[in-house]
Amino acid sequence: MAAPLPRRTADDPARRLTHALVCAAAEPALSGVLLLDLEPRLLDPVTRLFTALLTGTTDRPPAPLVLGAAGRDEDLWARTELRREEHGLSFRTAPGPLVAAAGQPGPPPLVVVPDLPRLSVAGMRAAVQLVGADVTVVERTGVRRTIRPRARWLALCRSADAGRLSRHLLDRFAVRLPVPGLTLPPVEPLLAALPPAWRAAAVRGVPPVPVTDEALTRVHELLGGEAGVRRRLALARLARTLAALDGAPSADAGHCDAAARVIGLPVPDAPRPGPVPAPDGDPGPPAGGTPRTVPARRPARDAPPRPAGDRALLETGPAEGIGGAPGGSPAGSGTPFPEDEASGPPDATPLRSPGRRTSGPALARGPVIGTRRATDLRDLAYVRTVREAAVHQRVRGTDRFTVSPADLHSNIRAGAPERVLVLLLDHTCRGGDWDWQDALTPFLQWAYTSRATVHVVEVGAADTAEELRAQSFAARSVLDPQVLAALYRRAGRATPLAHGIELAAQTLRRTFRQHGTGPAEAWLVVVTDGRGNIPLRASHTGRLTGEVAAAGVEDTVEAAARIGAMDRTRLHVAVVDPAREPYGDLPFVLADSLGATVVEGRTEPGAPVDGEPRSGPPRTPGGERGH
Amino acid sequence: MTGAPPDARILPYSRVVGQGELKLALELNHVLPRIGGVLMAGPRGTAKSTLVRAFALMAHGELPVTLPINATDDRVLGGWELDALIRGEARPQPGLLEDAADKGLLYVDEVNLLDDHLVDIILDVVSTGVLSVQREGLAAARTLSFGLVGTMNPEEGGLRPQLLDRFGLMVTAEQLDENARYRLIRTVLDFEEELERKDSGWLAAARRDDAELRQRLETARRRVPEVGVPDEVLRLCGRAADRTEAVGQRGEIVATLAARALAALEGADRVAPEHVLRVLPMALRHRRPETTHGGTFDWGPEDQARVEDLFGA
Repeated sequence: MAAPLPRRTADDPARRLTHALVCAAAEPALSGVLLLDLEPRLLDPVTRLFTALLTGTTDRPPAPLVLGAAGRDEDLWARTELRREEHGLSFRTAPGPLVAAAGQPGPPPLVVVPDLPRLSVAGMRAAVQLVGADVTVVERTGVRRTIRPRARWLALCRSADAGRLSRHLLDRFAVRLPVPGLTLPPVEPLLAALPPAWRAAAVRGVPPVPVTDEALTRVHELLGGEAGVRRRLALARLARTLAALDGAPSADAGHCDAAARVIGLPVPDAPRPGPVPAPDGDPGPPAGGTPRTVPARRPARDAPPRPAGDRALLETGPAEGIGGAPGGSPAGSGTPFPEDEASGPPDATPLRSPGRRTSGPALARGPVIGTRRATDLRDLAYVRTVREAAVHQRVRGTDRFTVSPADLHSNIRAGAPERVLVLLLDHTCRGGDWDWQDALTPFLQWAYTSRATVHVVEVGAADTAEELRAQSFAARSVLDPQVLAALYRRAGRATPLAHGIELAAQTLRRTFRQHGTGPAEAWLVVVTDGRGNIPLRASHTGRLTGEVAAAGVEDTVEAAARIGAMDRTRLHVAVVDPAREPYGDLPFVLADSLGATVVEGRTEPGAPVDGEPRSGPPRTPGGERGH
Repeated sequence: MTGAPPDARILPYSRVVGQGELKLALELNHVLPRIGGVLMAGPRGTAKSTLVRAFALMAHGELPVTLPINATDDRVLGGWELDALIRGEARPQPGLLEDAADKGLLYVDEVNLLDDHLVDIILDVVSTGVLSVQREGLAAARTLSFGLVGTMNPEEGGLRPQLLDRFGLMVTAEQLDENARYRLIRTVLDFEEELERKDSGWLAAARRDDAELRQRLETARRRVPEVGVPDEVLRLCGRAADRTEAVGQRGEIVATLAARALAALEGADRVAPEHVLRVLPMALRHRRPETTHGGTFDWGPEDQARVEDLFGA
């Protein structure tokens, strides 16, 4: 039998980390490890520790695949090997570094993400497709595969940044532990402190042991009733792996407590219920009945422990694992689920270095729209190149298929916008003694000089087909005649501002998430007096029912908060204030919610509102002050 | 469709806990492929992708033709086999759209994250029914059709209305209650344990149940042409689409087809109003104005009330 789980020392962060890595190495379903608040200087030793566990040796460990802000689909999923040969170049395509090891013998590869929020969109998508997945499909030029991913992932993230990340992405990491202030001894002593059976299991894996009903009840108690299925499964699998490493015949509640301590989850001292019979009226197993091989496993009686009336209250607070509890939480550690404590919705734009692109011939990102003769070896169009070479094979008369430099072609890529201007125009705030032309000029000039694409969202136009809804269109540049026309529409009566803000948020989200690495810079400029008079529901349904009251304004502020939560390294937001009374403070309320700069729309300098001086219209968008 | 990798671990379809509406939509689409596919929306961790793969393995013995979100356009449209070209052979390689037409189904996981240019390609093909390829020395046009099956997490963004409308049915994953969550976790852990056993009785029982269900679906497929559709049902579908202000006419057509498939599945000779009532949310929820304008996918009591009095419920 293997050495017993050293529970007495399980609160030591270095030991917790080592145990977590052993479990992740031994159990493919725990392939994603997310370390919260790890000091960056410790990334290298932790990587060496994980690699040593996976390979069983510290001698000449294989280099991990490191993913950062610059990763592209072209580099991750397929690999092209170019070789110079006697009669020209030869090359072949093969699965890329993310999937090359699938189905191959040997230890699973390690993928390291030094800063998860700064991971490129391609990297994040890869993580969503691969981490903990049963099956992944690759369909790239020259590579067509359906695989079961084997790689282990080690990602780092600050707890403060976790709220901005996609929950969809975070959820993929089954093993998550906060390790602030971790002191890591050298790798060798850490490995030496592990029982030999654990080290062997990390290399070879461990067969799963049964999980008792008592253990599943404990998982529910530890995580709380609101926890999703993936979190519960992850904790149960971690407990099961610890039990298997421990040599125990099954995983019980004690193993669940040990697993909770490993990931830094508070472990309450509540008395543990023993296995209990199924509740009355249990609907039973899915179609086909309970398999006869596991008759003893039944849902626990206390599975839903809270009355339904409690749930609404709980939903507004921290979801789970929050607060101190006797007997468990290691000193200095936070929660493994910091995104539950984040106040705003997740960010639509991950924090990362802007993926700079130019509109010149060196464009290397964006969808492929054609090919041309290559001048260097970057971004080669392989099919076009080989087809060109094929045409000349007879003339060349070589024994083997050869590619000469004259055959090389590279991709032409669509110039995905590097800069984007989203303009939300509330036509009901224009007219009379005020026009927005002067206030908007700097933004339009910026859009012109930076070749930005322009998305215009309009609310409150008199001639709109659906006055309860905002309208939007995209223009290739600010010179598009549609943009000029949109600036001078007659004002109508309805102001579906909330819907306009929602459309703007959708546009930004789509722009940043669905276009490769996303634009380098985007401006959202909202010109409004803030007096939205159409609730969001009315815009959605196309029907205005009942009293409107302040619902239009409240919905607007709520929708604006979603934009306010977006990353600010590449998105800037400005509200142009037309200084209309009454309710002159509404643009400021909206700006607060958007996290926007307020730009004075009228030309009188320094006119105060509520005693607060306004910032003047900027000469350039980049020159504004924060609100 | 593509074979599963030898070490794939997909929970058997008959053992997936809950998600009755998702299962029903997939089964109806299988019984009557003219329904045109299924879109499944739901929060993370609700077994959407597992369900699609498990269904394909149950119904076809292989994984569905899958379009990954980062596929290259030559793999979608078709092109040349690169390795063959290097050997000096010109061997065309069909794209995923042709594969999907041959198998009747194209599965897109995380469909709302699909790159814009791939969405454009799919829309071009499904709206015209013609795949025309004029590139890389290829010149071909083929008439084809297939059903789209997509899964998405709405937290990550929506879908263009044009693409939304191309899915015949749309269903939302249910949030499991505490007991169902418990059974789901128990089932997954048991499945993983049983995979390690030789001659597992658990897996054998699941395979038997899958085979029985497949048999039932095949019977229903054969029976569909014999199931009568009374005029009353056609009028009901039209009125229900009118009540929900469904955009376009595809909603009532799909509702009729889905009701017919449901009747075949339940062994009925004629489509009855209750069949229609059951499939209406699937056929109409994504064609309501509020959904196409960015609202929720949920089919709430208000929506149900708008159609229920048509049925005297």
